[in-house]
Amino acid sequence: MSVTKLENPNPSASETDRAGYARLVTAAAGGDRDAMERLLMRAQEVAYRFSLLVCGHPQDAEDVMQDALLKTYRYVSRIKEPEAFRTWLYTTVQNACRMKRRRHVGEPAHLTSIEQGATGGDGEPGPVEVEGHSRPADQLLIDSWVSGRLRQALKALPPSYRMIVVLREMEGLSTREVANVAGISEANVKTRLHRARVMLRHAMEGV
Amino acid sequence: MNMDVNPECGAMLAGISAYLDGDLDATACDAIERHCRDCSRCATLVDGLRETIGLCREAGSAPLPEPVRQRAKASIERLLACENPIRS
Repeated sequence: MSVTKLENPNPSASETDRAGYARLVTAAAGGDRDAMERLLMRAQEVAYRFSLLVCGHPQDAEDVMQDALLKTYRYVSRIKEPEAFRTWLYTTVQNACRMKRRRHVGEPAHLTSIEQGATGGDGEPGPVEVEGHSRPADQLLIDSWVSGRLRQALKALPPSYRMIVVLREMEGLSTREVANVAGISEANVKTRLHRARVMLRHAMEGV
Repeated sequence: MNMDVNPECGAMLAGISAYLDGDLDATACDAIERHCRDCSRCATLVDGLRETIGLCREAGSAPLPEPVRQRAKASIERLLACENPIRS
């Protein structure tokens, strides 16, 4: 059986993306209103995807988007390293998701933070059920946005693995950027990504 | 998850992500491709992973649902109207 490698968007596409973000940040910081608008829209897009796909809390998405909007606007005015913007943005969104969860009163015991996950018998994080309730209208939007099969499979992953998949495969961050956002080594990112891909594949076969 | 693999399949599996990411040299790629020609289970796994990764990348490029996008745009307009004016 013949196999072909993926057309890999990394690292070249990742580098292009990072450079694109850096140009946009520099232009926005220099007073370009159109660049600022595009940057703020991107920040909110990142926040929306991260809220839904990593944290699995559709009801938090718009609050996290607002947080990303305001923080990005303030950050750009004092930017020193435009190249580091993307890492800063994903770290900020991740923190906003965590803070949002902590502020919830009466949070159900089964909810688990992104970095924790449940630990299985082999010391690896086990799957964690994520909360999935949202307003019916929002659920319709979400269903039409990303395939239900993929979202269900993502839910089956431990949160820390889910984040690696989303950042690397969906958001197109480089291994180094993912390592910076997740606070783990690049080698660990690669290991988790490999395991997550296999787990995701198995989960997709089951849904 | 445990595929009860033989050593050759195990070696293949260990390098499969690097292979799919284009991180392996030509010799290592050839070894994997040769193995997959003879091992339908590994070949199926490689194809399945490729499909899964493709679906993820497709989802990552999906634009925001239009109502969400409209609300995001309105938030930006409100923020820029309230904060210090930025040059056009």
